[in-house]
Amino acid sequence: MQRCRLPAGGVVDRSQPLPFEFDGASYEGYAGDTLASALLANGVHLVARSFKYHRPRGILCAGVDEPNALVQLGRGARTEPNVRATTQELYAGLWASSQNRWPSLSFDIGAINDAMSRLIPAGFYYKTFMWPPTPRWWLRYEHLIRRVAGMGVAASLPDPDCYEHQYAHCDVLVIGAGPAGLAAARAAAQAGARVILCDENSTLGGRLYGGAATIDGGGASAWLEATTRELVAHADVTLLARTAAFGCYDGSLVGLIEHVAEHARGATAARSSGSAAQLAPVSTWMPRERLWKVRARSVVLATGAHERGIAYANNDLPGTMLAGALRTYIERYAVRPGTRAVVFTNNDHAYATAFALQGAGIEVAAIVDPRGGAALDGALPLAARDSLLPILARSVVTGAHGRLHVTAVDVAPLVGGTVSRIECDLVALSGGWNPAVHLFSQARGRLRYDEALASFLPDQCPVPMTVVGAANGSTDLAEALSEGHAAGLAAARAAGFAATASLRVPEAAPGASGAPLALWSTPPAAKGAKRFVDWQNDVTVDDVALAAREGYSSVEHLKRYTTLGMGTDQGKISNVVGLALLAGELERPIASVGTTTFRPPYTPVTLGAFPGHDAGPHVEPSRFSSIHDWHVAHGARFVNAGFWKRPHSYPRTGESPDDAALREARNVRTNVGIVDVSTLGKIELQGGDVAEFLNRVYINRWDTLQVGRCRYGVMLRDDGIVLDDGTTSRLAPSHYLLTTTTANAARVMQYLESLLQTEWPELDVYASAVTEQWSAAAVAGPRARDVLAKIVDIDVSNAAFPFLAVASCHVRTATGPVQARVFRMSYSGELAYEIHVPADKGRAMWNAAIAAGAGVGIMAYGTEAMSTLRIEKGHIVVGAEADGRTTADDLGLGGLASRAKSCIGSRLSERPALKSSDRWQLVGLVTVGNEPMPRAAKIVADPDRAAPNPMLGHVTSWCRSPNLDAWIALALLENGRARHGQTLWAVSPLANVRVQVQVGRPCFIDPKGERLRG
Amino acid sequence: MADDNDFGIGATRAGHYGAAESTGVTLAETNFAAAWNVQGSARSPDVASAARALFGLSLPAVPNTTSRDGALTALWIGPASWLIVATDASALADFEAKRDALDAAGGALFDVSAGRVGWTIGGPEAATVLAKGCPLDFHARVFGAGMCAQSVFGRVNALFYRHGVLPAHSTDPSLQRSPQFTMLVARSFARDAWRFLCVSAAQYGYDVLHPQPF
Repeated sequence: MQRCRLPAGGVVDRSQPLPFEFDGASYEGYAGDTLASALLANGVHLVARSFKYHRPRGILCAGVDEPNALVQLGRGARTEPNVRATTQELYAGLWASSQNRWPSLSFDIGAINDAMSRLIPAGFYYKTFMWPPTPRWWLRYEHLIRRVAGMGVAASLPDPDCYEHQYAHCDVLVIGAGPAGLAAARAAAQAGARVILCDENSTLGGRLYGGAATIDGGGASAWLEATTRELVAHADVTLLARTAAFGCYDGSLVGLIEHVAEHARGATAARSSGSAAQLAPVSTWMPRERLWKVRARSVVLATGAHERGIAYANNDLPGTMLAGALRTYIERYAVRPGTRAVVFTNNDHAYATAFALQGAGIEVAAIVDPRGGAALDGALPLAARDSLLPILARSVVTGAHGRLHVTAVDVAPLVGGTVSRIECDLVALSGGWNPAVHLFSQARGRLRYDEALASFLPDQCPVPMTVVGAANGSTDLAEALSEGHAAGLAAARAAGFAATASLRVPEAAPGASGAPLALWSTPPAAKGAKRFVDWQNDVTVDDVALAAREGYSSVEHLKRYTTLGMGTDQGKISNVVGLALLAGELERPIASVGTTTFRPPYTPVTLGAFPGHDAGPHVEPSRFSSIHDWHVAHGARFVNAGFWKRPHSYPRTGESPDDAALREARNVRTNVGIVDVSTLGKIELQGGDVAEFLNRVYINRWDTLQVGRCRYGVMLRDDGIVLDDGTTSRLAPSHYLLTTTTANAARVMQYLESLLQTEWPELDVYASAVTEQWSAAAVAGPRARDVLAKIVDIDVSNAAFPFLAVASCHVRTATGPVQARVFRMSYSGELAYEIHVPADKGRAMWNAAIAAGAGVGIMAYGTEAMSTLRIEKGHIVVGAEADGRTTADDLGLGGLASRAKSCIGSRLSERPALKSSDRWQLVGLVTVGNEPMPRAAKIVADPDRAAPNPMLGHVTSWCRSPNLDAWIALALLENGRARHGQTLWAVSPLANVRVQVQVGRPCFIDPKGERLRG
Repeated sequence: MADDNDFGIGATRAGHYGAAESTGVTLAETNFAAAWNVQGSARSPDVASAARALFGLSLPAVPNTTSRDGALTALWIGPASWLIVATDASALADFEAKRDALDAAGGALFDVSAGRVGWTIGGPEAATVLAKGCPLDFHARVFGAGMCAQSVFGRVNALFYRHGVLPAHSTDPSLQRSPQFTMLVARSFARDAWRFLCVSAAQYGYDVLHPQPF
């Protein structure tokens, strides 16, 4: 039973009733309703309490500009606060509740704020709560204020929905599918341009619905249907309903937010619950919202205009609606929101609402218009007079009466005279129109104030953007159609599409209209009565005056001080009224006061839409080695290394990851281990000058490297500090393979390419990143040769394949021989080989090695064991030891440097400070008494010395050594090489731990290298 | 965030996935026997003629274009850098000899056959799905048959190629009319890219087909 629904008319589908719930009561609306229209159809006007004063509020608007009707939508993980009832499409089973009231909407304790409002004027929190002057008090007040002056409640559960992005390109992007936008899209499409037409409403057409206008001699809705059909038929036209353009960015990038699935979700629920509602099937696969990033050659803005209010006493009582919105509810949604209405307008447009009221059987008690004489000779006021509608010219509404709903208004002559009271339950209010220039302004378009229209209109724009229709101040239908048509053709032409001659401008009868009268507020009927400028933030005429008196003369300051124009509506109906009142207080022209800056988003956008698919575990990409599935199957715990997922260790049942790593490291020293090193950066270099190039980028010498051999190298930055390390192998006379650390792979490649392209373009050197081409495993341990010999087709004896040898060969796998490169190099300090095979054969090679090692105790080991082994051996890691401050000499690698040549960084590494004896040098530490090494400890001589205690160095890597049965570390220590044998302290003031450490060589195992050469 | 494994989205076995009532997209792994990176420089025009002699194929000089001859396709992937893809192993054999020949001509040749994974994406919504992860304009007027370009798909670098010939597999006339792209991504990122592809295609319904040649 929808007691306020008209029996006929509108675009709602009466054959599809939709049940919904608001504040615990069950209602029914129709498909095509918004939550607001469905509530009004059920006679529900009171939907909210205001932000600050908790005043009862009703539905004021019919779109994104709504300041009052914000509701909490849905429950649980899908609950959403501050949803505008005026834009929320109704669906079966919709559940909403009002916000910011307790215990109920009709009786709200917080309304006491309204009575105490003299104590809490604009900016009250800046004044009152700054005392006492310690910030802690503000934190307490803030907590209370936030509770009292609240909006809705955000969901605390993870968002169960998914969102996606869509990039799109077009010749012409038309924003707004009212008559002007449709005419523009149609013209551009017929010329052959790629067009995207978007509109935030669920249907195209804007105000063409339900009106009496005629286009091209027929009904407006017939033209709308024909035009839509025509657009759909074009292959290169994309029509997007429920899609709001929220931001214009550089390079004609426009952000759109499409509500894809929300409206349909309820339909699924209704189907499954066996309700009568049978809507079109909904795909489970749709994202909830889709964020469009559109690159358009030209943009046509047909965004329409927002009606604004007039500030009179109690202009916020439920039952007060903007005239255009009221007409929309009657004509589009077939709602009768009252029985007796007063229209208060300063322009002709609201007269159309008067006719709509009349047509809906609502008595028009009076049309109150401050204008008189010739200003009332427009077509609509004349027609109103002919229809004997009671027009009170040169009059204004000064106040409204009622508790939870308007019951009467006070009307007074504009200048002097007696106040009369008119009973009514509906007020249609119109203070003129603000063109929706938000996107234009975001695109750096300049605005100008038009005195005749009393509004800000688009002026110059530095980007290809045209504003048409009401957004351009052209509210007349004929004008909107011809502007749209012309803009569409021009935009198509700019993209290289000539119009065909046959396309005519859509025609409509031009409507004459009288000039509006700028009127922002009316004198208060009683002292202290609240005349609202900004409904959402409870900002009144007196607040604006107070701000001006206190010196907030800039419109930007006014906004911050009073909160005028903040919140979900961003002052769409209030900003211009507020700044006009400020101009009045300052006695300056409105144009010189100007507007606040328009910033994206034009309308609120769900945060989840911005990450899109890049959420949860996919917040960044992951890289997987081709051996990954084996690691998973064998219980690996993974650790992130850049984007790579690398096995940390392979814990067995009941074993901790750290214990597993100890076991794995011990096994490498006693038997043989295998580790996946596919993640190492690999760069191939070819050309006649590679050796020369390497000589220039590495400290060591490369022209002596023979084919079939590899060498460890260190690269410096320009300033002599270590950049990266790795090995380089000579595969063929002019073909080299260079490896980098996992983390530095991309950086080193970029660096080398930049050198080749900008510093030494004359060198015959080509580089190709081949990290992805090769899967790699290192087989290390005293039994490594046994494993290798079983799977490769070359002689791997020490004589035939000595330390630092490289060879191409084949690995015998279960699926046949695989082309491979084998390197005898060692990171662990054991006899070790690296096997590289094409990445699609990585798993086969790994399986073959595991099978071959079964008899000699092969075990896979992870990065933790690898790290333990290299600390025992004293190998540095870029990032830990080479930390961006260390020279090669600091790290004990100075001996690698060739004196026969210079390289990048060699000159600056000669600076005295880099050669000073008090440099921090790499040393090894062992804790005394087998005490655990503290994390990230600093090294001091005397731990008991009062701060500041001179720091002699710090620990860079540390581990429990399973092979030494001791806690060991690598450290950078002042003049460290001269301190071997000293006992110092490693202290961690954070953990309050101190241990005595013995300084020694940074090598704890096989210092002579017999194992790796054996 | 829907789980990847919900309703089999992300599975690689052939079959229909996502929306049941339509097939907007077809996905098939792209098979290629070998992929070699030829590099040269503007200073050595010999490279182009050496490549023509070695591969029987002209390397495209115009950025983002390709040339195709039988089992070989050469894609322009950078100034003086091309990717030659072979559907047949015999078309790209004897790497070392060819590397040395190009080296002698002042160029270079790198074997990157296993470095990339590719999928062929067809169906009426193919371009739409690619544009969910890639900011390139895939419209036929801009990205025509035989063109290639490098960009991103989701967060992953990708190389896109638009086929000029219609897929042999499709008998459905709507698929015959629809565009056909191949996207190549680095092997280690393939899981991410495949997941993104499937999640994006699910709303239109998609078929995973058996692997197809490049």
